[in-house]
Amino acid sequence: MSAEDRTIVSRFTMEVAAALGAAAIGALVIYGANEHSIGWGDAGPEPGYVPFWLGLIIVGASLAVLVQTLVQRVGAGDSFITREQGKRIAAFAIPVALFVPVSLFLGLYVATAIYLLATTTLQGRFPLVKAIPIAIGAPVVMFVLFERWFQTPLLKGPLEAALGLY
Amino acid sequence: MFDNVPLLLHGFEIALSWHHVALMIGGVLLGILVGVLPGLGAPNGVTLLLPLTFSMDPVSAIILLTSMYWGALFGGSTTSILFNIPGEPSSVATTFDGHPMAKNGQATEALTYAFMSAGFGAMVGVIVITLLSSAVADFALKFSSPEFFAVYLLAFASFVGLGGGNPFKTIVSLTLGLAFATVGQDTISGSLRLTFGFDELLRGISFLVAVIGLFGLGELVLTMEEGLRFNAVASRISPKKVFQTIAKMPRYWFALLRGSLIGVWMGVTPGGPTAASFMSYGVARRFSRRSANFGKGEPEGVVAPETADHAAGSSAMLPMLALGIPGSATAAVMLGGLMIWGLTPGPTLFVERPDFVWGLIASMYLGNVVAVVLVLATVPLFAAILRIPFAVVAPLIVSVCFIGVWTVASAEFDLWLVLAFGVIGYLFKKLEYPIAPLVLAMVLGDKAEDAFRQSMLMSGGSLGVFFSNPLVGTLTAIALILLAWPIVAMFLGRRRAGVAAVPAHAERSPS
Repeated sequence: MSAEDRTIVSRFTMEVAAALGAAAIGALVIYGANEHSIGWGDAGPEPGYVPFWLGLIIVGASLAVLVQTLVQRVGAGDSFITREQGKRIAAFAIPVALFVPVSLFLGLYVATAIYLLATTTLQGRFPLVKAIPIAIGAPVVMFVLFERWFQTPLLKGPLEAALGLY
Repeated sequence: MFDNVPLLLHGFEIALSWHHVALMIGGVLLGILVGVLPGLGAPNGVTLLLPLTFSMDPVSAIILLTSMYWGALFGGSTTSILFNIPGEPSSVATTFDGHPMAKNGQATEALTYAFMSAGFGAMVGVIVITLLSSAVADFALKFSSPEFFAVYLLAFASFVGLGGGNPFKTIVSLTLGLAFATVGQDTISGSLRLTFGFDELLRGISFLVAVIGLFGLGELVLTMEEGLRFNAVASRISPKKVFQTIAKMPRYWFALLRGSLIGVWMGVTPGGPTAASFMSYGVARRFSRRSANFGKGEPEGVVAPETADHAAGSSAMLPMLALGIPGSATAAVMLGGLMIWGLTPGPTLFVERPDFVWGLIASMYLGNVVAVVLVLATVPLFAAILRIPFAVVAPLIVSVCFIGVWTVASAEFDLWLVLAFGVIGYLFKKLEYPIAPLVLAMVLGDKAEDAFRQSMLMSGGSLGVFFSNPLVGTLTAIALILLAWPIVAMFLGRRRAGVAAVPAHAERSPS
C-alpha cells in the first residue's frame, strides 16, 4: 500500500462524527424552539411546538445511528478518505470556499474571472494563452446573459463601479 | 376518463405555439447539457434555471423547466453509454449493458435503444397522467386539512418505509429538512422561529440554495475525489443503424411494458427514477431468457432501466399536479417553483388553472418527442463537450452554482449557506444518508405544518381528527404502518434482502 492510498479518516470515525453533528443540530433546534411557547394551547400547538418535537426526533434518530455504529462497528477498517482523495478534495474545495469572500469584496464577475484563471492555470496546467480568454470570456458572457437578457443584476464590486457598469 | 380529451386538445393548442416550442427546444438542449455534465444533475439544473422564470408566465415557465428535466434524463444516458459515467444517478443502471455494447462497436445501437425505450417509458407515464390526474384531483378536492396532513405524512413515511437503506438515517435527513423549513417567520402566529437573532435568517432557508449546495457543490466534490477519467468510445451516429435498431424495438415489447409499469409505480409513489431503473434492470436480468448475456452488452439490459427511468420521471408529475406532493427531488423543486409563481399546487389547480395543467401535460407529449429527436441528433456535439478537460468544466459549473444562488434572493448570506449545504451534501452521499427526503421536507415542511395546525384548530387539539373518517383514517394508518415497517421487517429478518439495498449504491455514484 503506497502512502497515497493510506486512509486519513476511517468510515467509522466519520459515521460517529456525522451522527454527533446531526444530534448537535437537533439540540440547537430544541434550544431555538424554547424561545417560544412549546406547549399545546387553546388553538392547538403553539409556535415552538413543531420545532421542539422535530429537534427531539433529530436527536433521537441520530443517537440511534450512533448506537448502531458503535455496536455494529459500522465502517471500522473501511476508508472514508485516502491521502490521494484528500489532496484532490482540498485542491477543489479550498478555491471554492475562497470564492465566497472574494466575491463579497469584488463582486461575482471579478471573482469568477480570478477563480477561473487560478484553477485553470494552477490545477489544469493551462497555458496563459488559453486560460486568460476563458477567465475573461466567461464573466463577459455571464454579464450579457444576466444583466441584459434576464435583467437580473448580479453582485458587483469596485471594478464595475469604476467602469460605470450599473 | 376520456372527458379529458377536449381539455388535452386545448392544452395542445397552448403548447404548440412557436414561443412554447422554442422554449421546449431550448429547455431540452440545456437539459441534455446538464445531464451530460457530471456534477450537474436534473434537480440542480432545474433549480439554477428557476429564478430566471420568476418573471415568466407560469405556463411558459413550467414548459421550460419540464423540458429541461426530459433533456437531463436523456443526457444522463448518453454519458452512461459512451463514457461509462452516469450523468445522472438514475442512469447508473444503463451503464451495466449500455457501455459494454458501445465497447463492442454498437454505440449507435445502444444509444438508439436507450433513447427509444426512454421515449416509450415517458409516453406511458404521460398517458397515465392524462387518464388519471383529473380523477385523482377530483378525489383530492374532497380533502380538508386533516386529509392533507395525512397525505404529507404518507409521503414522508414512504421514504422511511420504502426507501431502503438505514431508516434512522432517512429520519435524520427528513426531520433536518423539516426543521430547516421552520426557520423564519411562522405563517400562523407570525413569531420568528430558529433565527437565533440573525436577520439573514428572517426570510427562512431557501430550498433552492439547499438544492444547489447538496446536489451541485456536494456532487462536484465527490466527482473530484474519485478523480474523473473519461474513456470515450467512438461516438459517430449512423442514421441507417438508427432506423435498423428502431425496427428491432418491438422485439422487446415485454421489457418495455414491464419497465413502464415499474417506472410508473415508482414515480407515483416517491420511489423516484433511480430506484425504478435499478429495480427494472434487476427484474429483467432475473427473468430474461438471455439473462446470461446481461452485463456483457445485452440490449434488453439497456431497454429495461431506461424505460423505467423515464416512466418514473414523467409519472412523478402526477402526484405533484394532483396532490401537491412531488415524486422525485426534481419534481419537488418544480413544486416549489409553482408556489413562487403564485400557483397553489394540488387539486384546486385543475379547477382554477386548467390551461396551466393541460398545457403542461400536452407539452410533456411534445417535449419527449422533441427530446428523442434532439438527443439523437446532438450526440456527437455533446460527446465533444465531454472532451473539454474537467479542469475547465468543473470551475465553470462552480461559478454557475454561485450565480444561481445569487439569483435566488440576491443575498450575500446565501453564498455562505450554499457552502454549508455543499459540505452536508458530500457527507450525506458518502455516509449514505438519503438527500431526496431532506429536499422534499424543505419544500413541503411549511404546508405540512400548516395542515397539522389547522387540523388541530378544527378538532380543538385532538389527534383523533386524523382518524375521524374512513378516508383520513386509512391514509394515517398506511403512513403509520410504513413508518413502523423497518422495525417490523427487522424482526422478520428480511431487511438486507431484495432490491431495497440497490438504490443506496446509486446514491454514492458520481452524477
